[in-house]
Amino acid sequence: MPQYQTWEEFSRAAEKLYLADPMKTRVVLKYRHSDGNLCIKVTDDLVCLVYKTEQAQDVKKIEKFHSQLMRLMVAKESRNVTMETE
Amino acid sequence: MVLLESEQFLTELTRLFQKCRTSGSVYITLKKYDGRTKPIPKKGTVEGFEPADNKCLLRATDGKKKISTVVSSKEVNKFQMAYSNLLRANMDGLKKRDKKNKTKKTKAAAAAPAAPAPAPAAAASTATTAAAAAAAQ
Repeated sequence: MPQYQTWEEFSRAAEKLYLADPMKTRVVLKYRHSDGNLCIKVTDDLVCLVYKTEQAQDVKKIEKFHSQLMRLMVAKESRNVTMETE
Repeated sequence: MVLLESEQFLTELTRLFQKCRTSGSVYITLKKYDGRTKPIPKKGTVEGFEPADNKCLLRATDGKKKISTVVSSKEVNKFQMAYSNLLRANMDGLKKRDKKNKTKKTKAAAAAPAAPAPAPAAAASTATTAAAAAAAQ
């Protein structure tokens, strides 16, 4: 269960995992205000990618990523769409 | 599991975040959804089921209460704006790194309206963030 230390690597791997099988992949977000941390997990029940953070600057990145994935899921086109990573 | 309309889901999600401010986690799950309402049998054929391609399922829970909603391409624009604002407004209890980010003042100023004065030490910044969170409640 790879846990990523850099956002860049995580988002690239997660995007790849989703594009490989969109129906199987899911994204889980866990936020704890009392501990001040945020954890994002992307998995297709075979591979599991995790990124944890306590930094406020990551909230924007994670939220943007979440929205990008939502858009991908809702888009009808089945062509290969590459997301723009920051 | 309560299935709600997008707007109601956002309201309930805000409530979940507020409830879990002092203790507990908020879990949000996002998955592509093809519109199935019945389980697909292992053998046998599916009866006239057309997989839709433009929907996704959003679930949220605090460990006790569960809510969910389905977002389709028609609602995604409006929903996404409101949803992003919601996340950014509620996930504000994290530490702010001011050691290296002196050039990112504009980003911080735009994103965090309630940001207190930056503290130099990590220990001090945790205390400041905790105090700000308590004051903001």
